[in-house]
Order: sequence, then structure tokens, then C-alpha cells
Amino acid sequence: MGPDSGKDERPPTANWAVAFDLGIRLGISVILGVGGGLLLDNWLHTSPIFTLIGMVLGIGAAMYTIWDVAKQSMRR
Amino acid sequence: MVHVEIKAEELFSIGPLIVTNSMVGAVLASVVLLLIARWFTRRSGIVPSRGQSAIELPIEFLAGVVRGTGGKRWRQFAPLILGIFLFVLTANWLSLLPGVGTIGFAEEVEGKQIIVPFVRAGAADLNFTLGLALISFVTFIAFGLRANGVRGYLKELLIAEPAYMTPLLTPIHLISELSRVISLSMRLFGNVFAGEVLLATMLALTTATVFILPLAFVIPGVFIGLELLFGLVQALVFALLTMTYITLAIAEHREHESADDHSGEAPETGTAPAHGAA
Repeated sequence: MGPDSGKDERPPTANWAVAFDLGIRLGISVILGVGGGLLLDNWLHTSPIFTLIGMVLGIGAAMYTIWDVAKQSMRR
Repeated sequence: MVHVEIKAEELFSIGPLIVTNSMVGAVLASVVLLLIARWFTRRSGIVPSRGQSAIELPIEFLAGVVRGTGGKRWRQFAPLILGIFLFVLTANWLSLLPGVGTIGFAEEVEGKQIIVPFVRAGAADLNFTLGLALISFVTFIAFGLRANGVRGYLKELLIAEPAYMTPLLTPIHLISELSRVISLSMRLFGNVFAGEVLLATMLALTTATVFILPLAFVIPGVFIGLELLFGLVQALVFALLTMTYITLAIAEHREHESADDHSGEAPETGTAPAHGAA
């Protein structure tokens, strides 16, 4: 059966990669948010406002990543 | 004494270009791949020899995965995915050869004699992995742009639904997109570099216990075996994630297309958007 058959033929191998990726992306999203906030606070001397905003956005991005991956999985 | 440093060590410079030992490792991997490709194109036959089968096996495996996952456009990006896989795999496995990371010139740092190796694993340098991750990033953005158009892609990325959520969701989208590049590069770098440190540590420990001969041979052997496996897994993960991101970029477009243009119609046969990725 070819790839155009309409049936999901996605090999399980491809899912390993997503599993490997998800955990790291959660951490990196929070680090990016907090890091960006810290940089802005240092630059604008507004500590800790942007650090807190960055943390919320980072955690939000991490949750968005989980939702995105779950959404793609459930569609299959 | 074997010395492991996070930063790749400088060997020499050609004008403004500083040549590091990880660059030598990456170039060696490219040369090995080119030589294998040259040999393969000259010697390959319809009935494969053992050598040909050994080379075709990983390529056929990954091509099968790309074909099964990549949808109708899999042929457009299959060469890139296979290229990334073979390059990272070769670079990782070359670093396990005797002499790589252990033969070099002596240098004195803070009163201690250290060895600066001539060749280091390409992926044990963040510049190498970040470069590959950027290639992957640019490629899936290019596929997204081609599928959605510039306006559609930017709308997808920057404007949220409902529109009043845009100030909150746009930074979240951007952080999530950026995390892909950093995740790709840091994972490969972290795993390969940790492998280098592990092997160097085991080598130092077993050299210290050289009189217990079985340990001196068995323990590094076990860890080199594990590194062979990790090298393969990391190359596979990098290539498959690139493929997943590209497939996602294309699938999102087809999803919107079918929602806009074919509402109420039966879904097309073919790899539907729902089959795009993870």
C-alpha cells in the first residue's frame, strides 16, 4: 500500500523523535522565556517585571508545545 | 593526560578563518561520505554485493520512514533528510575511531601538560550542531512559506484566533518556534559531547587500573559499543525531527486549504493533513 492510500502508515520510528524532542523543548521554552525576561530587565532596569512575564510566557510556550504535539497525535 | 574542553580547540588559521579540531572532524566525515558515494556509484549493481547491501540498508530504512510519513511531497525533502542522517551518523561514528580525540599535540595549560587532539567529533562542537539546526529551521520555514505563501505563513505565526489573544499568543508561538532550533542543536551537542567526556573518563580510569587487564579492555569496549548506538540514535532523531517539522509545515497548509475550500466534502485520498506529524 502506497503513501497515498489515505491510511496512516506512519512508522513508529518517527514517534521516537517527537518523544525525544518534547521533553527538551519544555525546558528550553521556560529557559528562553526567563532568559529573555532577565535580559530585558537588565537592559530597562525594570527587574523583576519582565522576568516574571517571561516566565509566564515560557511556561505558556511549554504548555502550547504539549498541546500542539497532542493535537497532531490525536488527529492521526 | 586526556583533556576535554567544551570549546573546540584551535589548530591553525588560514587568514581570518580559524580551523578547529571539530572542523577537521566534520570535513573528514564529508570526505568519507564522498568517497563512499563515489565507490557506490561506480560499483553498484542490480544484484547487490555485501558492501552495497550494508550501505543500502540504512538508506532504504530511512527512505521508507520518510516515504511513510512525509506525504505526497516526500521526494522533495527526502535527500535533505537522508543527507543529514548520513552526515551526522558518519561524524558520530568517526569520532569512535582510535586516535580521534587522543592523538594531538602537547600544550601546557595552567602548569599542566594536556593533549590538544588533531581531530574531534564534529557534533561535539555547538557550532556544528547549531549550523545543522539552522539548515533544518530554514528548510521547514521555506516549505511552510511555499505551502502557505508569505502572508498566510506570517498570519499563522503572528495572528492568533481569537484576535484579542494575539498579544499573549504571538510571543508564545515565537518562543515555541525558537525552541525547536535550540532543542535540535543542544540535544545533539549534549549527547555527543557527553559521550566524549564519558569515553575520556573511562579511558583515564582504566589506564589507571592497567594491571587489572580485563577491566582495561572490557570497560572502554562496552562504552564504545554504547556510543555506537547513541551515535545512530542521535543521527536518526535529528533527521526525523527535521522531517516532522517539514511535514507539519506542509500539513498545516493542507488542513487550512481543506477547511476553506472543501468544507462538507469527503476528504481526499492521499496522506491527509491529519497524517502529517506527531
